[in-house]
Amino acid sequence: MGQVLALAISAVLLAGFYASMAYGLGLIYGVLRVVNLAHGGMIMAAAYLSWVLFTRFSIDPYLAIPVVMVVFFFVGVAMYKGLVRHLPRGAAGGVQSLLLLFGVWLVIRNIAYLLFTGDDQAVRTSYSTASVPIFGNSYSLNRVLVFVISLVAVSVLQLWLSRTYTGKAVRAVTENSDSSTLVGIDVERLYALTFGVGTALAGLAGVLASTLFAFNPSFGSGELLKSFVIIVLGGLGSVVGIGIGALVLSFAEVFAIYAVPSYLTAAVGFVLLVVVLVVRPSGLFGSKVLR
Amino acid sequence: MTTTAQSRRVRLPAWLSMKALILFVVAFGLLYVAPFALALGDYLHNIVGLTFMFMAAGLAWNWLGGYVGQISFGHAAMFGVGGFVAARLAISFGLPFWATWMIGGIIAGLYALLWGHPTLRLRGPYFSIATIGVGEATRLVATYWTDFTGGSSGLSLPIGDGPTKFALYWYGLYLLAAAVILSYWLRKSRIGLALLAIKEDVEAASDVGVNPSFYQDLVLFLSGTVVGVCGGFYASYQAFIDPLDMFSFERSISFVLIGVIGGIGTILGPAMGAIVFVVLQEFLLASYPQLYLGLYGVLLIVVILFEPLGLSGLLMRLARRFGRKPSPSAASGGLSPAASPNASVSDPALTPDPVDPPDPPDPPVGAVGAVGAVGAGGPDVKRGPA
Repeated sequence: MGQVLALAISAVLLAGFYASMAYGLGLIYGVLRVVNLAHGGMIMAAAYLSWVLFTRFSIDPYLAIPVVMVVFFFVGVAMYKGLVRHLPRGAAGGVQSLLLLFGVWLVIRNIAYLLFTGDDQAVRTSYSTASVPIFGNSYSLNRVLVFVISLVAVSVLQLWLSRTYTGKAVRAVTENSDSSTLVGIDVERLYALTFGVGTALAGLAGVLASTLFAFNPSFGSGELLKSFVIIVLGGLGSVVGIGIGALVLSFAEVFAIYAVPSYLTAAVGFVLLVVVLVVRPSGLFGSKVLR
Repeated sequence: MTTTAQSRRVRLPAWLSMKALILFVVAFGLLYVAPFALALGDYLHNIVGLTFMFMAAGLAWNWLGGYVGQISFGHAAMFGVGGFVAARLAISFGLPFWATWMIGGIIAGLYALLWGHPTLRLRGPYFSIATIGVGEATRLVATYWTDFTGGSSGLSLPIGDGPTKFALYWYGLYLLAAAVILSYWLRKSRIGLALLAIKEDVEAASDVGVNPSFYQDLVLFLSGTVVGVCGGFYASYQAFIDPLDMFSFERSISFVLIGVIGGIGTILGPAMGAIVFVVLQEFLLASYPQLYLGLYGVLLIVVILFEPLGLSGLLMRLARRFGRKPSPSAASGGLSPAASPNASVSDPALTPDPVDPPDPPDPPVGAVGAVGAVGAGGPDVKRGPA
């Protein structure tokens, strides 16, 4: 029983990170109908940026978050204006954007190989080994911090989407971009903004990941898949949906150790993805947005 | 006026034109005797054989990616399954190599059905991302299933049992010929129409009596089988295979790349794409192995941004520039609806194209026929002087 509780808390902590990781992908897909296949690459790149800032300039990864997010916001805007904007919208554009962003991912990976080689890197701070007791078990301080920061980030985003004018416009475009144009929303500008915010969230996820995991240039493909599982599970547009999606995935992964050999736990996400896509392609709550 | 002449002649099936058949036979014959006529040298001879295999695999990927519009990022799974089943059969049972290829191919096709039947109900990005998952999961299982795949140390094929590397040239040619025939048949027969209907609008297709599930399964099975046979060929070619190479993400990318560079949805395209791919692989990346991912990525970006139909699109542009009529059949595939952003499903210019028009002066038949010829003739022409 104690072990189950420990694993459950562990899963909840993991779910926090998963939610912030998936939100960027979900936001971009919801608004632009583009699956950002470069999402995983962006997470990897942000992890390296955090590592460089820490090892070269001794900037604590948590303090580096605003810097990295701003940088990645502009990277995202540039990616939209330079590449994605030139693609046609609609079904055929979907295939093209997949291939295009896939190409971007490959390029990012290659640049990372050239700059940092294929070796595993990790950010080791003075408090990396510190731990926090929760219900009698201790958990690494980093995991708890990551959980809290993710929660804050996702909540802020939700407030932005529901309370501000721009956020409401983003949601309006998600619902129907043509009608949004009619009521005077500058859709092009919002697309660029959304791509920037989504990429900034990938940047956040990358920094958080750098404190938790070792990474190398091929890091990120698992994160991309998991993010996708989560937005498929939870639907778009609500923190609750993303949160539940993240919880389902993290619980499935953490408790899979009872069922499958350890080397296969990495495949749990993939299996879950295929099962979910087939059984409930519109998400657990039948969200109409994800279509 | 030709009724008597026609009835005396052997009847060709409706999807096959005489012109295409002749071009195909001529191209096949030329490539068959090419090694005797030209002294290619061992290295080039082998590489051309390998190019045939990549052409066949690219064509097979394209049936799914181009004809149906379902981009697969996981075809390495079938390539690996075909290769390892073939290698295992050769090692453990000493079966003749062609039988191991066939069995490996069919098992790969069945494996494709196993994950594809449920996932093919998904469209677009959903399917594509599911295939990334399938590819990764297959790679993980294969790497850890050491009894079957030898794990990270791989499998070495028994020496002397299989065909010599020299002979593989012709087997590669047979493989390519089979893939070209299947491509042509899948495009020109009734099935081709059904596939196009599915690609344009699944729901509309099923409304008019096309069963999307059946046709997509059929295409995936054929695609998986041919890619699996290619895996068997590759195992014989290398005489050693390991799961990290056979199932790798890069392997899956290579099939995507061959299709995209050449032009998704065409026959000529993947064949040309394979030539570009092998040339890059052998002559450029052999010297700069650290650049290959980036190079592939840049190629993808450039093609998608500037010429979504790849080399085929480029050729059509050139043909138009020089006053030849554009061939609709080549354009009908791939990402054509994308070419005009506002073209919707109802665009009448796109849908009827591949229906063999009764008797057009030149276009579809000639184009696809030439495809066989150029596609197959490519490496030879390219490499002759080199």
